[in-house]
Amino acid sequence: MCQKGESQFFEVLVRRYMEKAFRIALDFTHNVEEAKDLSQDALLRAFSRIQQFDGRSSFYTWFYRLVVNICLDHTRRKGKIFWERLGDEPEDGFTRKELTDDMSRPDREAMAGEAKRRVDQTLEAMPKKQRTAFLLRNHQGLSIADIAKVLETTEGTVRVYLHRAVAALRQSLLEFV
Amino acid sequence: MKSHADMLETACKEFEADLVLYYYGDGVETERSRVEDHLQGCGHCNRFLEDLHKLLPQISQPREFSPAFWADYYDEVVEKLTARQEKKLWWRAFITPMRVWLVPAFGTAVVAILAFALVLGKGSWQANPERPVEKIPQEIMADVNQLEFFKSMDMLESLRLIESLDRTKTGAKNI
Repeated sequence: MCQKGESQFFEVLVRRYMEKAFRIALDFTHNVEEAKDLSQDALLRAFSRIQQFDGRSSFYTWFYRLVVNICLDHTRRKGKIFWERLGDEPEDGFTRKELTDDMSRPDREAMAGEAKRRVDQTLEAMPKKQRTAFLLRNHQGLSIADIAKVLETTEGTVRVYLHRAVAALRQSLLEFV
Repeated sequence: MKSHADMLETACKEFEADLVLYYYGDGVETERSRVEDHLQGCGHCNRFLEDLHKLLPQISQPREFSPAFWADYYDEVVEKLTARQEKKLWWRAFITPMRVWLVPAFGTAVVAILAFALVLGKGSWQANPERPVEKIPQEIMADVNQLEFFKSMDMLESLRLIESLDRTKTGAKNI
C-alpha cells in the first residue's frame, strides 16, 4: 500500500472507530485519560496489524476484539477496576430524576452516587467475559452473534453471560428502582 | 416495614433468560412470541421486564464529549502514529539498503569459505587414522616393558620350580 493510501486508510479508520473504541475503553476503565490511551493504542495496533485481518469475520468484530483484549489486559495488569468517586460526574445516568423524584438534591446525589458505586461493584465482581458480554450488549449495542465472535465463544454462552449479568445487576439495584 | 427490594418478585425461572433477550430485542421470532404470550398473563414477569426497562438504560447512559474533545483525540492519535513511524524509520533506514545485497553476499561468503576449507584441507582428513607407535607416551611404553619384565621373571620362577622338582625326583631315585 502506498504512503498516501495508508494515510487515507488511517484517517478513515480513526474517524469511524475512535468513538466506539473510546467508549468501550471508558466502560472498562471509567477514566477518560486511560480510556483515551487504550483506545488510541487499539487504533494504532489495528492500523499496523491490518494485514492480519483475514476477512473471516467483519472488520468491526475484529476491531472490537482488539479493543476488548487491550482493555482486559489493562484491567488484569492494574488488578482491580477503579471505583468512581461519589458525585464525580453529574451528567451520569444515576443523577437522573426517575430514581429519586421526591428527594432533596443532596439526597438525590448521594443516592445516585451509591447506585453508581453499586453498579461498578457488581460489574467488578463479575467474571471478565460476563462483564464484557454485558458491556458490549448493553452499552455498545452489539448483537449476540457479534459478541460471540468478539469473545470467541458460542452464542449460547453469550446468552448465559448476559442473563447472569443482568440478573446480578437487577438484584444489586432493586432498592433503587 | 418491608423494603422495596423485598416487595419485588423475580420472574418465572423458565422465562427469566428469555426476558433478558426479549428486552434487548434478541432471540428468534418463536421465542419472542412465546414470551409475549406469557407476559399477557404473568404479573411477575411483567414487573421484571419493567425493572429492566428502568435500570439498564440508566447503567449505559453515555457521557457526552464536545467536538473539541474529539478533535484533540484525533490529533493525538495522528501524533502517536507519526512518533511510532519515526521510531521505526531510524533502523529501517539502516537495514533496508543492506537487505538488497545482504543475502547474495552472505551466500557467496559461505561458498568461498567452504571452497577454501576443501582446498587447504585436501588429503589431511582420514576417517580412522591409525595412531603411530612413536606417538604413544613414554610412560605407557615403560609400563609395557615392565610387564614384559615381570612376565619373564614369572617364567624364571616357574623354571626354578620345575628344576627343583626334577632335582627332588632324581634325588629320590638315587636313594
